[in-house]
Amino acid sequence: MAIAARASPASRRRRLRVDLTTPTLLGPPLGWLVVFFLLPITIVAAYSFNVYSFEPGPHGFTLTAWHDFLHSSIYLSLFWKSVKMSLIVSAIIVVLAYPLAYYLALSGTKRKYVLLLLLIAPFLTSYLLRVLAWKVILGNQGVINTFLFWTGIRSPDHPISQLLYSRFAVMLVLGYIWLPFVALPIFVSLESLDRRLLEAASDLGASRLQAFRKVTLPLSLPGVFAAFLFVFIPTLGEFVTPSLVGGTTGYMYGNQIVDLFGTGFPDWETGSVLAIFLLGVVAVLTLVFARFLQPRQVAAD
Amino acid sequence: MDVALSRTGAWILRSFFFLVVLFLYAPIVILLIFSFNDSAVPTFPLSGFTFHWYREFLGNAELRSALETSAIIAALSSVGAVVLGILASIALTRRRFRGKAAVSALLLSPLVIPYLVFGISLLLLFHQLGVPRSLLTVVIGHIVISLPYTILVLVPRLDQIDVSLEEAAFDLGASRLRTFRSITLPLILPAVVSALLIAFTTSFDEYAVASFVVGSRVTFPIYLYAAVRFPDQLPQVIAVAVVVLVVSLTVVIAAEVGRRVAERRLGAQ
Repeated sequence: MAIAARASPASRRRRLRVDLTTPTLLGPPLGWLVVFFLLPITIVAAYSFNVYSFEPGPHGFTLTAWHDFLHSSIYLSLFWKSVKMSLIVSAIIVVLAYPLAYYLALSGTKRKYVLLLLLIAPFLTSYLLRVLAWKVILGNQGVINTFLFWTGIRSPDHPISQLLYSRFAVMLVLGYIWLPFVALPIFVSLESLDRRLLEAASDLGASRLQAFRKVTLPLSLPGVFAAFLFVFIPTLGEFVTPSLVGGTTGYMYGNQIVDLFGTGFPDWETGSVLAIFLLGVVAVLTLVFARFLQPRQVAAD
Repeated sequence: MDVALSRTGAWILRSFFFLVVLFLYAPIVILLIFSFNDSAVPTFPLSGFTFHWYREFLGNAELRSALETSAIIAALSSVGAVVLGILASIALTRRRFRGKAAVSALLLSPLVIPYLVFGISLLLLFHQLGVPRSLLTVVIGHIVISLPYTILVLVPRLDQIDVSLEEAAFDLGASRLRTFRSITLPLILPAVVSALLIAFTTSFDEYAVASFVVGSRVTFPIYLYAAVRFPDQLPQVIAVAVVVLVVSLTVVIAAEVGRRVAERRLGAQ
Protein backbone atom coordinates (compact mmCIF):
# COMPACT_ATOMS: atom_id res chain seq x y z
CA MET A 1 0.00 0.00 0.00
CA ALA A 2 3.05 2.24 -0.16
CA ILE A 3 2.00 3.62 -3.54
CA ALA A 4 -1.43 4.67 -2.37
CA ALA A 5 0.03 6.36 0.70
CA ARG A 6 2.54 8.37 -1.33
CA ALA A 7 0.03 9.29 -4.01
CA SER A 8 -2.41 10.89 -1.59
CA PRO A 9 -1.63 14.48 -0.63
CA ALA A 10 -4.62 14.96 1.64
CA SER A 11 -3.26 13.31 4.73
CA ARG A 12 -6.31 13.99 6.87
CA ARG A 13 -8.52 12.20 4.44
CA ARG A 14 -6.09 9.35 4.14
CA ARG A 15 -6.51 8.45 7.78
CA LEU A 16 -10.20 7.83 7.15
CA ARG A 17 -9.59 5.74 4.08
CA VAL A 18 -10.72 2.17 4.38
CA ASP A 19 -8.73 -0.22 2.30
CA LEU A 20 -9.93 -3.59 1.14
CA THR A 21 -7.52 -5.82 2.98
CA THR A 22 -8.54 -9.43 3.51
CA PRO A 23 -9.64 -8.84 7.13
CA THR A 24 -11.76 -5.83 6.03
CA LEU A 25 -13.36 -8.00 3.39
CA LEU A 26 -14.05 -11.02 5.55
CA GLY A 27 -14.72 -9.30 8.86
CA PRO A 28 -18.24 -7.96 8.22
CA PRO A 29 -19.80 -11.05 6.57
CA LEU A 30 -18.18 -13.52 8.96
CA GLY A 31 -18.92 -11.32 11.96
CA TRP A 32 -22.55 -11.09 10.91
CA LEU A 33 -22.86 -14.87 10.59
CA VAL A 34 -21.10 -15.52 13.89
CA VAL A 35 -23.35 -13.15 15.83
CA PHE A 36 -26.66 -13.74 14.05
CA PHE A 37 -26.26 -17.33 12.88
CA LEU A 38 -23.81 -19.41 14.92
CA LEU A 39 -24.45 -17.74 18.28
CA PRO A 40 -28.26 -18.16 18.07
CA ILE A 41 -27.88 -21.86 17.25
CA THR A 42 -25.55 -22.25 20.23
CA ILE A 43 -28.19 -20.62 22.41
CA VAL A 44 -30.81 -23.13 21.21
CA ALA A 45 -28.39 -25.92 22.11
CA ALA A 46 -27.94 -24.31 25.54
CA TYR A 47 -31.72 -24.28 26.00
CA SER A 48 -31.90 -27.96 25.08
CA PHE A 49 -29.48 -28.74 27.93
CA ASN A 50 -31.39 -26.43 30.28
CA VAL A 51 -28.32 -24.14 30.63
CA TYR A 52 -30.67 -21.32 29.66
CA SER A 53 -34.33 -21.55 30.44
CA PHE A 54 -37.63 -19.86 29.67
CA GLU A 55 -38.60 -20.24 33.32
CA PRO A 56 -37.02 -17.82 35.76
CA GLY A 57 -35.21 -19.32 38.74
CA PRO A 58 -32.28 -21.66 39.17
CA HIS A 59 -31.46 -24.20 36.52
CA GLY A 60 -28.39 -26.10 35.42
CA PHE A 61 -27.07 -28.48 32.82
CA THR A 62 -29.24 -31.58 32.44
CA LEU A 63 -29.79 -34.20 29.77
CA THR A 64 -33.40 -34.76 30.85
CA ALA A 65 -35.02 -33.27 27.77
CA TRP A 66 -32.73 -35.23 25.44
CA HIS A 67 -33.37 -38.43 27.38
CA ASP A 68 -37.12 -37.89 27.24
CA PHE A 69 -36.98 -37.11 23.53
CA LEU A 70 -34.97 -40.20 22.64
CA HIS A 71 -37.37 -42.37 24.63
CA SER A 72 -40.57 -40.77 23.44
CA SER A 73 -42.58 -42.68 20.89
CA ILE A 74 -44.58 -39.57 19.93
CA TYR A 75 -41.75 -37.30 18.78
CA LEU A 76 -39.66 -39.99 17.11
CA SER A 77 -42.57 -41.54 15.24
CA LEU A 78 -43.62 -38.08 14.09
CA PHE A 79 -40.08 -37.55 12.90
CA TRP A 80 -40.15 -40.82 10.95
CA LYS A 81 -43.49 -39.93 9.43
CA SER A 82 -42.00 -36.62 8.24
CA VAL A 83 -38.90 -38.40 6.91
CA LYS A 84 -41.10 -40.79 4.96
CA MET A 85 -43.25 -38.01 3.53
CA SER A 86 -40.19 -35.98 2.50
CA LEU A 87 -38.48 -39.03 1.01
CA ILE A 88 -41.52 -39.91 -1.10
CA VAL A 89 -41.98 -36.33 -2.31
CA SER A 90 -38.27 -35.92 -3.09
CA ALA A 91 -38.00 -39.25 -4.90
CA ILE A 92 -41.10 -38.64 -7.03
CA ILE A 93 -40.15 -35.17 -8.12
CA VAL A 94 -36.53 -36.07 -8.85
CA VAL A 95 -37.84 -38.84 -11.12
CA LEU A 96 -40.25 -36.39 -12.76
CA ALA A 97 -37.63 -33.64 -13.10
CA TYR A 98 -34.97 -35.85 -14.68
CA PRO A 99 -36.68 -36.17 -18.09
CA LEU A 100 -37.41 -32.42 -18.05
CA ALA A 101 -33.75 -31.62 -17.49
CA TYR A 102 -32.74 -34.27 -20.04
CA TYR A 103 -35.01 -32.72 -22.65
CA LEU A 104 -33.64 -29.22 -22.04
CA ALA A 105 -29.99 -30.24 -21.94
CA LEU A 106 -29.73 -32.92 -24.61
CA SER A 107 -32.53 -32.59 -27.15
CA GLY A 108 -30.66 -29.84 -28.98
CA THR A 109 -33.56 -27.39 -28.71
CA LYS A 110 -32.40 -23.87 -29.49
CA ARG A 111 -34.60 -22.20 -26.90
CA LYS A 112 -33.36 -24.19 -23.95
CA TYR A 113 -32.70 -21.20 -21.71
CA VAL A 114 -36.10 -19.71 -22.47
CA LEU A 115 -37.72 -23.04 -21.64
CA LEU A 116 -35.61 -23.37 -18.50
CA LEU A 117 -36.78 -19.95 -17.35
CA LEU A 118 -40.37 -20.94 -18.14
CA LEU A 119 -39.91 -23.97 -15.90
CA ILE A 120 -38.16 -22.17 -13.02
CA ALA A 121 -40.24 -18.97 -12.98
CA PRO A 122 -43.08 -20.35 -10.80
CA PHE A 123 -40.51 -21.26 -8.16
CA LEU A 124 -39.41 -17.64 -7.95
CA THR A 125 -42.90 -16.40 -7.14
CA SER A 126 -44.46 -16.31 -3.72
CA TYR A 127 -44.42 -19.59 -1.83
CA LEU A 128 -47.51 -18.81 0.26
CA LEU A 129 -49.51 -17.77 -2.77
CA ARG A 130 -48.82 -21.07 -4.48
CA VAL A 131 -50.02 -22.89 -1.37
CA LEU A 132 -53.05 -20.62 -1.34
CA ALA A 133 -53.81 -21.56 -4.95
CA TRP A 134 -54.03 -25.23 -3.99
CA LYS A 135 -56.22 -24.43 -1.04
CA VAL A 136 -58.63 -22.76 -3.43
CA ILE A 137 -58.44 -25.72 -5.79
CA LEU A 138 -58.69 -28.65 -3.36
CA GLY A 139 -61.28 -27.55 -0.77
CA ASN A 140 -64.69 -29.17 -0.27
CA GLN A 141 -66.14 -26.02 -1.83
CA GLY A 142 -63.04 -25.64 -3.98
CA VAL A 143 -62.50 -25.54 -7.70
CA ILE A 144 -62.24 -29.28 -8.30
CA ASN A 145 -65.22 -30.25 -6.18
CA THR A 146 -67.53 -27.48 -7.36
CA PHE A 147 -66.53 -28.28 -10.91
CA LEU A 148 -67.58 -31.88 -10.30
CA PHE A 149 -70.90 -30.73 -8.76
CA TRP A 150 -71.53 -28.34 -11.61
CA THR A 151 -70.94 -30.96 -14.27
CA GLY A 152 -73.01 -33.45 -12.27
CA ILE A 153 -70.21 -35.99 -11.91
CA ARG A 154 -70.57 -35.85 -8.13
CA SER A 155 -73.45 -34.73 -5.97
CA PRO A 156 -72.89 -31.66 -3.76
CA ASP A 157 -73.62 -33.80 -0.70
CA HIS A 158 -70.58 -35.96 -1.38
CA PRO A 159 -67.55 -33.85 -2.18
CA ILE A 160 -64.18 -35.59 -2.43
CA SER A 161 -63.14 -34.46 1.03
CA GLN A 162 -59.76 -36.20 1.17
CA LEU A 163 -58.35 -33.64 -1.27
CA LEU A 164 -57.65 -30.94 1.30
CA TYR A 165 -56.42 -31.25 4.90
CA SER A 166 -54.69 -34.56 4.36
CA ARG A 167 -51.26 -36.06 4.01
CA PHE A 168 -51.95 -36.30 0.28
CA ALA A 169 -52.54 -32.54 0.07
CA VAL A 170 -49.27 -31.79 1.87
CA MET A 171 -47.29 -34.05 -0.43
CA LEU A 172 -48.97 -32.77 -3.58
CA VAL A 173 -48.35 -29.13 -2.67
CA LEU A 174 -44.74 -29.74 -1.58
CA GLY A 175 -44.08 -31.59 -4.83
CA TYR A 176 -45.69 -28.79 -6.81
CA ILE A 177 -43.59 -26.18 -5.06
CA TRP A 178 -40.22 -27.90 -5.39
CA LEU A 179 -40.51 -29.55 -8.82
CA PRO A 180 -39.15 -26.61 -10.88
CA PHE A 181 -36.23 -26.12 -8.53
CA VAL A 182 -35.22 -29.78 -8.61
CA ALA A 183 -34.78 -29.72 -12.39
CA LEU A 184 -32.03 -27.09 -12.10
CA PRO A 185 -29.08 -29.06 -10.64
CA ILE A 186 -29.91 -32.05 -12.87
CA PHE A 187 -29.94 -29.74 -15.89
CA VAL A 188 -26.56 -28.30 -14.90
CA SER A 189 -24.93 -31.73 -14.65
CA LEU A 190 -26.43 -32.93 -17.96
CA GLU A 191 -25.51 -29.68 -19.67
CA SER A 192 -21.85 -30.12 -18.78
CA LEU A 193 -21.83 -33.67 -20.11
CA ASP A 194 -19.38 -34.11 -22.96
CA ARG A 195 -21.48 -35.29 -25.91
CA ARG A 196 -18.44 -36.95 -27.47
CA LEU A 197 -18.71 -39.59 -24.76
CA LEU A 198 -22.15 -40.49 -26.10
CA GLU A 199 -20.84 -40.51 -29.66
CA ALA A 200 -18.01 -42.80 -28.59
CA ALA A 201 -20.49 -45.13 -26.89
CA SER A 202 -22.63 -45.14 -30.03
CA ASP A 203 -19.61 -45.83 -32.28
CA LEU A 204 -18.67 -48.74 -30.08
CA GLY A 205 -22.09 -50.23 -30.70
CA ALA A 206 -24.05 -49.14 -27.64
CA SER A 207 -27.74 -48.53 -28.10
CA ARG A 208 -29.17 -45.25 -26.80
CA LEU A 209 -30.50 -47.04 -23.75
CA GLN A 210 -27.12 -48.62 -23.03
CA ALA A 211 -25.36 -45.29 -23.53
CA PHE A 212 -27.82 -43.72 -21.12
CA ARG A 213 -27.30 -46.40 -18.48
CA LYS A 214 -23.52 -46.60 -18.79
CA VAL A 215 -22.62 -42.98 -19.55
CA THR A 216 -25.28 -40.33 -19.10
CA LEU A 217 -26.92 -41.54 -15.91
CA PRO A 218 -23.70 -42.16 -13.91
CA LEU A 219 -22.27 -38.80 -14.98
CA SER A 220 -25.43 -36.96 -14.00
CA LEU A 221 -25.67 -38.57 -10.56
CA PRO A 222 -24.00 -35.65 -8.73
CA GLY A 223 -26.78 -33.41 -10.06
CA VAL A 224 -29.40 -35.94 -9.01
CA PHE A 225 -27.98 -36.15 -5.49
CA ALA A 226 -27.79 -32.37 -5.25
CA ALA A 227 -31.39 -32.09 -6.43
CA PHE A 228 -32.54 -34.67 -3.94
CA LEU A 229 -30.76 -32.95 -1.06
CA PHE A 230 -32.08 -29.50 -2.05
CA VAL A 231 -35.65 -30.69 -1.76
CA PHE A 232 -35.36 -33.23 1.04
CA ILE A 233 -33.85 -30.80 3.56
CA PRO A 234 -36.44 -28.03 3.32
CA THR A 235 -39.40 -30.41 3.15
CA LEU A 236 -38.19 -32.30 6.22
CA GLY A 237 -38.31 -29.08 8.27
CA GLU A 238 -41.52 -27.88 6.64
CA PHE A 239 -44.32 -26.44 8.75
CA VAL A 240 -46.08 -23.83 6.62
CA THR A 241 -47.61 -26.12 4.00
CA PRO A 242 -48.80 -28.77 6.49
CA SER A 243 -50.35 -26.11 8.72
CA LEU A 244 -52.28 -24.66 5.75
CA VAL A 245 -53.34 -27.79 3.87
CA GLY A 246 -52.41 -30.70 6.16
CA GLY A 247 -55.12 -30.87 8.77
CA THR A 248 -54.41 -33.45 11.48
CA THR A 249 -53.14 -36.28 9.26
CA GLY A 250 -50.70 -33.98 7.49
CA TYR A 251 -49.17 -32.68 10.75
CA MET A 252 -45.38 -32.85 10.50
CA TYR A 253 -42.36 -32.70 12.80
CA GLY A 254 -41.91 -29.01 11.99
CA ASN A 255 -45.43 -28.24 13.23
CA GLN A 256 -44.60 -29.95 16.50
CA ILE A 257 -41.56 -27.69 16.95
CA VAL A 258 -43.63 -24.59 16.21
CA ASP A 259 -46.27 -25.68 18.70
CA LEU A 260 -43.65 -26.19 21.41
CA PHE A 261 -42.58 -22.58 20.91
CA GLY A 262 -46.15 -21.38 20.44
CA THR A 263 -48.42 -19.48 22.72
CA GLY A 264 -50.45 -22.43 24.03
CA PHE A 265 -48.18 -24.49 26.28
CA PRO A 266 -44.67 -23.39 25.45
CA ASP A 267 -41.91 -25.83 26.28
CA TRP A 268 -38.75 -24.24 24.97
CA GLU A 269 -36.48 -26.94 26.37
CA THR A 270 -38.19 -29.79 24.50
CA GLY A 271 -38.65 -27.56 21.46
CA SER A 272 -34.92 -26.84 21.42
CA VAL A 273 -34.14 -30.55 21.58
CA LEU A 274 -36.39 -31.18 18.58
CA ALA A 275 -34.85 -28.27 16.67
CA ILE A 276 -31.25 -29.29 17.37
CA PHE A 277 -32.04 -32.91 16.45
CA LEU A 278 -33.46 -31.76 13.09
CA LEU A 279 -30.42 -29.56 12.54
CA GLY A 280 -28.10 -32.47 13.35
CA VAL A 281 -29.83 -34.77 10.86
CA VAL A 282 -29.64 -32.08 8.17
CA ALA A 283 -25.96 -31.40 8.92
CA VAL A 284 -25.06 -35.09 8.67
CA LEU A 285 -26.99 -35.46 5.41
CA THR A 286 -25.27 -32.40 3.96
CA LEU A 287 -21.81 -33.70 4.88
CA VAL A 288 -22.49 -37.20 3.54
CA PHE A 289 -23.96 -35.90 0.30
CA ALA A 290 -21.25 -33.25 -0.11
CA ARG A 291 -18.80 -36.12 -0.42
CA PHE A 292 -21.04 -37.70 -3.06
CA LEU A 293 -21.17 -34.48 -4.98
CA GLN A 294 -17.52 -34.75 -6.09
CA PRO A 295 -18.01 -35.31 -9.83
CA ARG A 296 -14.61 -36.98 -10.33
CA GLN A 297 -15.38 -39.74 -7.88
CA VAL A 298 -18.55 -40.67 -9.70
CA ALA A 299 -16.81 -40.59 -13.07
CA ALA A 300 -14.09 -42.91 -11.80
CA ASP A 301 -16.51 -45.60 -10.67
CA MET B 1 -28.42 -40.00 -35.83
CA ASP B 2 -28.72 -38.14 -32.57
CA VAL B 3 -26.90 -40.00 -29.85
CA ALA B 4 -28.99 -38.72 -26.93
CA LEU B 5 -32.54 -39.01 -28.21
CA SER B 6 -34.48 -40.67 -30.99
CA ARG B 7 -37.09 -38.53 -32.77
CA THR B 8 -39.95 -40.28 -31.01
CA GLY B 9 -38.08 -39.93 -27.73
CA ALA B 10 -37.65 -36.20 -28.27
CA TRP B 11 -41.34 -35.87 -29.11
CA ILE B 12 -42.38 -37.75 -25.97
CA LEU B 13 -40.06 -35.70 -23.77
CA ARG B 14 -41.29 -32.45 -25.30
CA SER B 15 -44.91 -33.39 -24.68
CA PHE B 16 -44.06 -34.37 -21.12
CA PHE B 17 -42.21 -31.07 -20.60
CA PHE B 18 -45.20 -29.01 -21.69
CA LEU B 19 -47.60 -31.13 -19.64
CA VAL B 20 -45.52 -30.34 -16.55
CA VAL B 21 -45.40 -26.65 -17.46
CA LEU B 22 -49.20 -26.77 -17.76
CA PHE B 23 -49.40 -28.36 -14.30
CA LEU B 24 -47.11 -25.67 -12.87
CA TYR B 25 -49.04 -22.74 -14.32
CA ALA B 26 -52.59 -24.08 -14.00
CA PRO B 27 -53.03 -23.13 -10.31
CA ILE B 28 -51.71 -19.63 -11.04
CA VAL B 29 -54.12 -19.26 -13.97
CA ILE B 30 -57.01 -20.50 -11.82
CA LEU B 31 -56.20 -17.82 -9.23
CA LEU B 32 -56.14 -15.25 -12.03
CA ILE B 33 -59.59 -16.32 -13.27
CA PHE B 34 -61.18 -16.30 -9.83
CA SER B 35 -59.73 -12.90 -8.98
CA PHE B 36 -62.19 -11.49 -11.56
CA ASN B 37 -65.07 -13.69 -10.46
CA ASP B 38 -68.12 -11.92 -9.09
CA SER B 39 -68.67 -14.16 -6.08
CA ALA B 40 -67.52 -14.19 -2.48
CA VAL B 41 -66.35 -17.80 -2.74
CA PRO B 42 -64.07 -19.24 -5.42
CA THR B 43 -66.40 -21.95 -6.76
CA PHE B 44 -67.71 -23.15 -10.09
CA PRO B 45 -69.68 -22.08 -12.04
CA LEU B 46 -68.13 -18.66 -12.61
CA SER B 47 -70.73 -16.02 -11.88
CA GLY B 48 -69.59 -12.91 -13.69
CA PHE B 49 -66.76 -10.49 -14.27
CA THR B 50 -65.76 -7.86 -11.69
CA PHE B 51 -62.92 -5.61 -10.56
CA HIS B 52 -64.55 -5.46 -7.15
CA TRP B 53 -61.84 -7.48 -5.31
CA TYR B 54 -59.06 -5.36 -6.73
CA ARG B 55 -60.81 -2.17 -5.60
CA GLU B 56 -61.40 -3.74 -2.22
CA PHE B 57 -57.78 -4.57 -1.56
CA LEU B 58 -56.66 -1.15 -2.73
CA GLY B 59 -58.87 0.27 0.01
CA ASN B 60 -57.63 -2.18 2.63
CA ALA B 61 -55.28 -0.15 4.84
CA GLU B 62 -54.03 -3.15 6.82
CA LEU B 63 -53.02 -4.95 3.67
CA ARG B 64 -51.32 -1.90 2.18
CA SER B 65 -49.36 -1.37 5.36
CA ALA B 66 -48.24 -5.03 5.32
CA LEU B 67 -47.03 -4.64 1.73
CA GLU B 68 -45.21 -1.46 2.71
CA THR B 69 -43.54 -3.12 5.73
CA SER B 70 -42.37 -6.00 3.57
CA ALA B 71 -41.01 -3.61 0.95
CA ILE B 72 -39.00 -1.71 3.59
CA ILE B 73 -37.64 -4.91 5.11
CA ALA B 74 -36.79 -6.32 1.68
CA ALA B 75 -35.03 -3.10 0.62
CA LEU B 76 -32.92 -2.88 3.78
CA SER B 77 -32.06 -6.56 3.92
CA SER B 78 -31.22 -6.88 0.23
CA VAL B 79 -28.81 -3.94 0.37
CA GLY B 80 -27.25 -5.35 3.54
CA ALA B 81 -26.91 -8.84 2.08
CA VAL B 82 -25.42 -7.59 -1.18
CA VAL B 83 -22.84 -5.40 0.55
CA LEU B 84 -21.75 -8.30 2.76
CA GLY B 85 -21.95 -10.61 -0.25
CA ILE B 86 -19.65 -8.41 -2.36
CA LEU B 87 -17.05 -8.26 0.43
CA ALA B 88 -17.16 -12.03 0.93
CA SER B 89 -17.11 -12.81 -2.80
CA ILE B 90 -14.05 -10.62 -3.44
CA ALA B 91 -12.22 -12.33 -0.59
CA LEU B 92 -13.19 -15.76 -1.93
CA THR B 93 -12.17 -15.06 -5.52
CA ARG B 94 -9.23 -12.66 -5.18
CA ARG B 95 -7.45 -13.35 -1.92
CA ARG B 96 -5.52 -16.28 -0.57
CA PHE B 97 -6.00 -17.08 3.08
CA ARG B 98 -5.91 -20.07 5.34
CA GLY B 99 -9.11 -21.99 5.96
CA LYS B 100 -10.81 -20.78 2.77
CA ALA B 101 -12.81 -24.00 2.45
CA ALA B 102 -14.17 -23.62 5.97
CA VAL B 103 -14.96 -19.94 5.43
CA SER B 104 -16.88 -20.60 2.23
CA ALA B 105 -18.72 -23.48 3.91
CA LEU B 106 -19.79 -21.15 6.72
CA LEU B 107 -20.84 -18.43 4.28
CA LEU B 108 -23.03 -20.88 2.35
CA SER B 109 -24.37 -22.80 5.35
CA PRO B 110 -27.55 -20.70 5.75
CA LEU B 111 -28.66 -22.37 2.48
CA VAL B 112 -29.18 -25.71 4.18
CA ILE B 113 -30.40 -24.74 7.64
CA PRO B 114 -34.14 -25.38 8.05
CA TYR B 115 -35.61 -21.85 8.28
CA LEU B 116 -37.78 -23.04 11.13
CA VAL B 117 -34.70 -23.84 13.22
CA PHE B 118 -33.05 -20.56 12.27
CA GLY B 119 -36.18 -18.57 13.15
CA ILE B 120 -36.33 -20.18 16.59
CA SER B 121 -32.61 -19.57 17.10
CA LEU B 122 -33.02 -15.87 16.37
CA LEU B 123 -36.06 -15.70 18.63
CA LEU B 124 -34.05 -17.17 21.51
CA LEU B 125 -31.08 -14.87 20.78
CA PHE B 126 -33.23 -11.73 20.93
CA HIS B 127 -35.05 -13.08 23.97
CA GLN B 128 -31.73 -13.74 25.71
CA LEU B 129 -30.35 -10.31 24.82
CA GLY B 130 -33.60 -8.58 25.70
CA VAL B 131 -33.93 -7.08 22.20
CA PRO B 132 -37.58 -6.28 21.40
CA ARG B 133 -38.89 -7.77 18.18
CA SER B 134 -39.33 -5.24 15.40
CA LEU B 135 -38.81 -4.54 11.75
CA LEU B 136 -35.05 -4.59 12.34
CA THR B 137 -34.99 -8.07 13.85
CA VAL B 138 -36.61 -9.36 10.65
CA VAL B 139 -34.05 -7.46 8.55
CA ILE B 140 -31.21 -9.09 10.54
CA GLY B 141 -32.61 -12.56 9.88
CA HIS B 142 -33.25 -11.90 6.20
CA ILE B 143 -29.69 -10.68 5.65
CA VAL B 144 -28.43 -14.02 6.95
CA ILE B 145 -30.61 -16.10 4.64
CA SER B 146 -30.05 -13.92 1.54
CA LEU B 147 -26.27 -13.67 1.96
CA PRO B 148 -25.41 -17.08 0.42
CA TYR B 149 -27.64 -16.39 -2.59
CA THR B 150 -25.81 -13.14 -3.31
CA ILE B 151 -22.46 -14.97 -3.05
CA LEU B 152 -23.66 -17.67 -5.45
CA VAL B 153 -24.54 -14.98 -8.01
CA LEU B 154 -21.44 -12.79 -7.50
CA VAL B 155 -18.64 -15.37 -7.34
CA PRO B 156 -19.11 -16.80 -10.87
CA ARG B 157 -19.19 -13.27 -12.30
CA LEU B 158 -16.00 -12.28 -10.44
CA ASP B 159 -14.37 -15.45 -11.78
CA GLN B 160 -15.21 -14.42 -15.34
CA ILE B 161 -13.54 -11.02 -15.14
CA ASP B 162 -10.00 -10.73 -16.41
CA VAL B 163 -7.93 -10.17 -13.25
CA SER B 164 -5.25 -8.37 -15.27
CA LEU B 165 -7.58 -5.34 -15.57
CA GLU B 166 -7.58 -4.99 -11.78
CA GLU B 167 -3.84 -5.60 -11.61
CA ALA B 168 -3.27 -2.88 -14.19
CA ALA B 169 -5.27 -0.34 -12.16
CA PHE B 170 -3.41 -1.34 -9.02
CA ASP B 171 -0.02 -1.06 -10.75
CA LEU B 172 -0.98 2.42 -12.00
CA GLY B 173 -1.34 3.54 -8.40
CA ALA B 174 -5.01 3.05 -7.64
CA SER B 175 -5.76 1.80 -4.14
CA ARG B 176 -7.64 -1.45 -3.77
CA LEU B 177 -10.78 0.47 -2.96
CA ARG B 178 -10.34 2.71 -5.99
CA THR B 179 -9.64 -0.35 -8.16
CA PHE B 180 -12.85 -1.86 -6.90
CA ARG B 181 -14.89 1.28 -7.55
CA SER B 182 -13.52 2.03 -11.01
CA ILE B 183 -12.84 -1.42 -12.43
CA THR B 184 -14.44 -4.30 -10.58
CA LEU B 185 -17.80 -2.83 -9.60
CA PRO B 186 -18.79 -1.67 -13.10
CA LEU B 187 -17.86 -5.08 -14.48
CA ILE B 188 -19.90 -7.01 -11.93
CA LEU B 189 -22.82 -4.57 -11.93
CA PRO B 190 -25.24 -6.88 -13.77
CA ALA B 191 -24.56 -9.58 -11.18
CA VAL B 192 -24.95 -7.05 -8.35
CA VAL B 193 -28.35 -6.05 -9.69
CA SER B 194 -29.51 -9.63 -9.98
CA ALA B 195 -28.17 -10.39 -6.48
CA LEU B 196 -30.19 -7.43 -5.19
CA LEU B 197 -33.33 -8.69 -6.89
CA ILE B 198 -32.88 -12.22 -5.60
CA ALA B 199 -32.29 -10.96 -2.05
CA PHE B 200 -35.27 -8.60 -2.33
CA THR B 201 -37.68 -11.27 -3.53
CA THR B 202 -36.35 -13.79 -0.97
CA SER B 203 -37.05 -11.35 1.83
CA PHE B 204 -40.37 -10.11 0.46
CA ASP B 205 -41.69 -13.66 0.34
CA GLU B 206 -40.12 -14.99 3.53
CA TYR B 207 -42.55 -16.29 6.13
CA ALA B 208 -40.85 -18.90 8.36
CA VAL B 209 -38.08 -16.78 9.91
CA ALA B 210 -40.19 -13.62 9.99
CA SER B 211 -43.00 -15.39 11.83
CA PHE B 212 -40.72 -15.87 14.84
CA VAL B 213 -39.00 -12.49 15.01
CA VAL B 214 -41.60 -10.07 13.63
CA GLY B 215 -42.81 -7.23 15.83
CA SER B 216 -46.20 -5.56 15.89
CA ARG B 217 -45.96 -4.40 12.24
CA VAL B 218 -46.75 -7.53 10.25
CA THR B 219 -45.15 -8.33 6.92
CA PHE B 220 -47.07 -9.24 3.79
CA PRO B 221 -46.49 -13.03 4.05
CA ILE B 222 -47.61 -12.95 7.68
CA TYR B 223 -50.73 -10.99 6.76
CA LEU B 224 -51.36 -13.46 3.95
CA TYR B 225 -50.92 -16.48 6.21
CA ALA B 226 -53.49 -15.10 8.62
CA ALA B 227 -55.89 -14.08 5.86
CA VAL B 228 -55.80 -17.50 4.20
CA ARG B 229 -57.49 -18.88 7.31
CA PHE B 230 -60.51 -16.57 7.01
CA PRO B 231 -62.66 -17.49 3.99
CA ASP B 232 -64.38 -14.08 3.76
CA GLN B 233 -61.07 -12.44 2.92
CA LEU B 234 -60.23 -15.03 0.29
CA PRO B 235 -61.31 -13.20 -2.90
CA GLN B 236 -59.37 -10.07 -1.90
CA VAL B 237 -56.33 -12.14 -1.06
CA ILE B 238 -56.60 -13.86 -4.42
CA ALA B 239 -56.63 -10.47 -6.14
CA VAL B 240 -53.50 -9.39 -4.25
CA ALA B 241 -51.95 -12.75 -4.98
CA VAL B 242 -52.45 -12.23 -8.69
CA VAL B 243 -50.90 -8.77 -8.59
CA VAL B 244 -47.89 -9.97 -6.61
CA LEU B 245 -47.44 -13.06 -8.77
CA VAL B 246 -47.59 -11.11 -12.01
CA VAL B 247 -45.23 -8.41 -10.72
CA SER B 248 -42.71 -10.91 -9.37
CA LEU B 249 -42.84 -13.05 -12.51
CA THR B 250 -42.24 -9.97 -14.65
CA VAL B 251 -39.38 -8.73 -12.47
CA VAL B 252 -37.73 -12.15 -12.39
CA ILE B 253 -37.93 -12.65 -16.14
CA ALA B 254 -36.88 -9.07 -16.93
CA ALA B 255 -33.92 -9.34 -14.54
CA GLU B 256 -32.74 -12.59 -16.03
CA VAL B 257 -33.02 -11.34 -19.60
CA GLY B 258 -31.37 -8.04 -18.64
CA ARG B 259 -28.48 -9.79 -16.93
CA ARG B 260 -27.81 -12.01 -19.95
CA VAL B 261 -27.88 -9.07 -22.34
CA ALA B 262 -25.66 -6.91 -20.13
CA GLU B 263 -23.12 -9.66 -19.52
CA ARG B 264 -22.96 -10.49 -23.19
CA ARG B 265 -22.21 -6.85 -23.96
CA LEU B 266 -19.61 -6.54 -21.21
CA GLY B 267 -18.12 -9.82 -22.37
CA ALA B 268 -17.89 -8.62 -25.96
CA GLN B 269 -15.84 -5.56 -25.11
